[in-house]
Parts: sequence; structure tokens; C-alpha cells
Amino acid sequence: MSVYFAFARSAFLTQLAYRHEVWANMIGKLVQVFARVAIWVAIYGGTASIAGVSLEQMVTYALLGGAVTGAIRYESIISGIGQALRTGDVAVWLLKPASFPLYVLATELGRAAFRFVILVVPTVAVVAAVYGMLPPASPFHGVMFVAYGLLAYTIIALLSALFGLVAFWLLTSFSLEWMMQAILNLLSGQLIPFWFFPAPVAVIAAHLPFAWIVYYPSAVWLGRLDVTATLSYFGLGLGWAALLAVGVVLLWRQASTRIVVQGG
Amino acid sequence: MAQIIEARAVSKRFRQHRRFPGFLGALKTLVTAEYTEIEAVTDVSFAIAQGEAVGYLGPNGAGKSTMIKMMTGILVPSAGDLTVLGRVPHRERQANAREIGVVFGQRSQLWWDLPVRDSFELHREIYGIPRPRFDENLKSLSSLLDLEPFLERAVRQLSLGQRMRAEIVMALLHDPKILFLDEPTIGLDVVAKDAVRKFLSRVNRERGTTIILTTHDLQDIEEICPRLIMVDHSRLIFDGETAKLRTALGSARRLMLEFAADPGPLELKSARLTSDDGLRKHYLLERDDISLVHVLDEIGDTTALKDISIEEPNIEEVIRTFYQRRNAELPPR
Repeated sequence: MSVYFAFARSAFLTQLAYRHEVWANMIGKLVQVFARVAIWVAIYGGTASIAGVSLEQMVTYALLGGAVTGAIRYESIISGIGQALRTGDVAVWLLKPASFPLYVLATELGRAAFRFVILVVPTVAVVAAVYGMLPPASPFHGVMFVAYGLLAYTIIALLSALFGLVAFWLLTSFSLEWMMQAILNLLSGQLIPFWFFPAPVAVIAAHLPFAWIVYYPSAVWLGRLDVTATLSYFGLGLGWAALLAVGVVLLWRQASTRIVVQGG
Repeated sequence: MAQIIEARAVSKRFRQHRRFPGFLGALKTLVTAEYTEIEAVTDVSFAIAQGEAVGYLGPNGAGKSTMIKMMTGILVPSAGDLTVLGRVPHRERQANAREIGVVFGQRSQLWWDLPVRDSFELHREIYGIPRPRFDENLKSLSSLLDLEPFLERAVRQLSLGQRMRAEIVMALLHDPKILFLDEPTIGLDVVAKDAVRKFLSRVNRERGTTIILTTHDLQDIEEICPRLIMVDHSRLIFDGETAKLRTALGSARRLMLEFAADPGPLELKSARLTSDDGLRKHYLLERDDISLVHVLDEIGDTTALKDISIEEPNIEEVIRTFYQRRNAELPPR
């Protein structure tokens, strides 16, 4: 396991090698978070609450929602696999006594840790200072938010790997990135929280694995789930993560026997 | 000596989605599922013993890299049996990977953004190399290939020659039993090529590492590999001592006789006259059992003879004449 930790660490350090990119990213991220919050401020337009949700809660939701998707780049997991296939570098990976999917995940988690510390925390803090942000509903909800956050990273990473491995059949990953982006925008609750969804759609969305990426961590922080619901949905999320992990393993087993090394 | 690689009637076919030319053809490609089969390796058998250094030679597209990729477990053979160190490589890919080292001339295994030393450290983690062994290997290998001046530099800042030397050192850090090299000297200058060749010979001799090398540069093979396997159009066409390739492919040695005074036309039974400049006459020795002694015997009176030389054709010439003859015989595919 220390191998994958070493991959994550070196990915973290590699990010530091491109100093200017760090600054450019920070400015971009800041604009993005401001925009997301500004949209909700505009929608509320002075109304105290919509569907029982106050503007303050909504701003907090928007800020927290970016905590996971702002740090991890599912598209770089998918395109990482796609690029390794396109250039034939996947061959180099198969030469090592290590698992290629785990390497891709470890590397992206290393980068995500970097972005979380360097990009997400500062930008969220700046925007929160401007618009205000609610604290967790209770210490229990605060602790569970951290647990849900880690689960969210696990699920988005596994989902991306699953999507990425499909590239072994398509030999291109671009369409997969777009597909994943569209699905995430809608079904993770990132664009619009489920409580604004029509009831049947909200129920379905709340039980798909995407919901654990944005919706549940933020909803838990805001105390929209009571203690029992918080714990049982966490169990359900763990179940999804396990299922996805099995899916990745099976798909990789299939994929690795049908490798075509491009470019000789 | 134990055989550590055995290939028995190994074949590899690739299926390629058939594409149709032109704009309408492109649309047709989108909805059809027609495939053409390409035979990259056909019915290849060989066995390699521990400690050997074998050159794997063939023109572009002859199936050299495909064979290497099957031996390293990346590709799955379509037919036949292949074992490396007693394992089926693709089935026990990771176990196989621990005991082999691989260098691809056209593909880097170093981490592009990291200093060379950090790449080596990651390699140590991946292969679980004990620290003392790693330090010892790193020290001796990098001094042999003169890596110290750029160990701390990022891989992307290295020249091709420096990078290649680093790749080779990395492939040896975990004491592999077999080292596979796919065109290791491609794009290197004469000095770098020489350094790499000397180093590989030494690794083969002193560490007993089995070396399998594909290359276009015949000098690589002459200097490193006593044994040669040659493939062409996916099939094996020669397997034996590099020095014997000439005989096997039937290339003649060249004989030159120089006289003090022109003896006139001189036909010999043991050698075929190819050109006659009067004082200098050129012959081809087409049979291998004919030696200089036979020639001198036939001439009899050698008092007019001033100089004599026999030239072995170099391996490149042997192979060129072989391909030319084959192309003349075979209709183009």
C-alpha cells in the first residue's frame, strides 16, 4: 500500500513544479465560486426562503458543494486513462508490478489533496468571508460531514475510473468526460440541490451514487438529515462504494486482456 | 543451462476495424463492424537460456515489438505457449514484472516532471527494493553510465542520451533476471551508443543478466549479442550464432588478388571472378568450406602474387542482400 501512497505524494509534489499554474488556478477557482454563490443570491433576490431553505443555507450549500468537485478532477482520471491508451503508455504501466487503476486513482487523490489545501480552502474562506457561511448544524453533523467528504472522494474516484476504463473499448475518452460531466452536474446536486427537484426525480436521484458526491455531504452539514438518516445513508453510500470498487476490478480484468498498444 | 524463456508456436493476430476511404466511406465506417486480421507474429518458437544475450532482429513491422510485449505480459498471444521464468507472462503479469526489466527506446518510464533520483525512488517503492541493495545498485550503475551529473535534474530537462542512460539504469535497479530492450539506441549519437553497448555487454557478463534486444542497428547486435534471432513478415527465419548468419543466409566472402604483373585472365574453380582490372582481380567465395589454402593451391605458382585479402561481408550487407533477394522472389504483400 505504501507504493500508492508514494504515487500520491509524488503527484502532490509534482503540482508544486508548476508555480504559475497554481496562481492561475486560484484566480479561476475564486471567480467560479463567486459566480456560483452570486447566482443563488440573484435567484433569491431578497426572498427570505424558498421551499423552506434560507439564502444563508443555500450559500453554504454552494460553497460546500465545491469542496469535493473543486479538488478532484474526474476528467483527469478519465483522460489520464484515455491518454495512456492513445499514446500507448499503458504498456509502460503493465510492465510494473503495480495496479494501473490504483496508480491513476492514487495520483489523482494526491493532486486532489494539493488542490484542496492550496485552492479549495482559501477560495471558500474568501467567499465565505464576503457572503457568510453557516457552521455545521451540530458537532455530530460536523464530524459526519468529514466522513461523508472522504466517502465522496472515494465514490467520485471510483466512478471516474469506471468511466475511464470504458475507454479501453472506445480507444478515446473525450466523449466519456463529457458524459460524466453532464451526469454529475445534474445528479450530484452540484447545479441544483435535490430539494428543488420534482418529488419523484428527487427520490431517484437521492439513491444514485452521484448523490454522495455533493448533495449528502452538504445536506449533512446543514442538518437536513437527522441522526438516523445521516448514519443509514452513510451505510448506503459505503455500499455503493463497494459495488463500484467491484465494478472497477471486474472491468479492469476485462480491459487488461484486450489491450492494443498504439504507436508500436 | 536452464531455459528461462520458451516460446512454442506463438502467434499474435490483431483485429482492425475496417475503414472505408472518402467522406461517405467515413460515414460507412461509423456503422459497419468489418474487421481485417493482421498477423503480427506467426508460429514463432525459440528457447533462451539464462545468461544469454540475444538480438531480435527484423525490419519494421516484422513483429519484434509484439513479441517483446508478449514476453513482458502486456499482450496476450493468440495461439501457442509462452513461458518466461516458468510463468505465463500475461496471467502472472505482476509476478513476472518483478523479475524482468524493460527499456523501450521510444517510450519513457521515468516520471517526466520529477528529478531522475525521485523517479528511481518511486521505482524502489514499486518493486520493494531493500534500501541497502538499492543504494548499492544506484551507486555502481550510475557511475558506470555516468549519471551523477544529472541525477537531481528533472527528466524533462534531460537530453535523449542522458534520458536513455537513466532508463537503462532504472530497469536494472531491482536486479532483474532478464532485461528486455526495445530499440535502446534509437536516436542516440555515436558516443552515447557506444557507452550503452559497452554497458550492456558488461551487465550481461558481470551480473549474468539475460539480455533480449531488438534493434535496427546491427552494430548493437554484433557488439552485445552472440546469438541472433531474425524475423521477417511475422515469421522466424534465423536462430543461431550471429557469426553464422552469413553462412545461413548464403552470403559470399570477397577475395581480392593483386599481382605484380598481369597474369592475364585467371578463372578459378574455388572462387567466382567478378571483376578483372588486370593487376587486381576480385572474386566471390561462395562456398564456406573453401579457404585461402584451396585458392592458393589452385593458383599454383604464387611468385607473381603481391597481395591477397579476404573480406567477410558485414552483417548489414548480409541482411541487405538477403532482403533484396527475398523481395525479388516474393510478390509484394
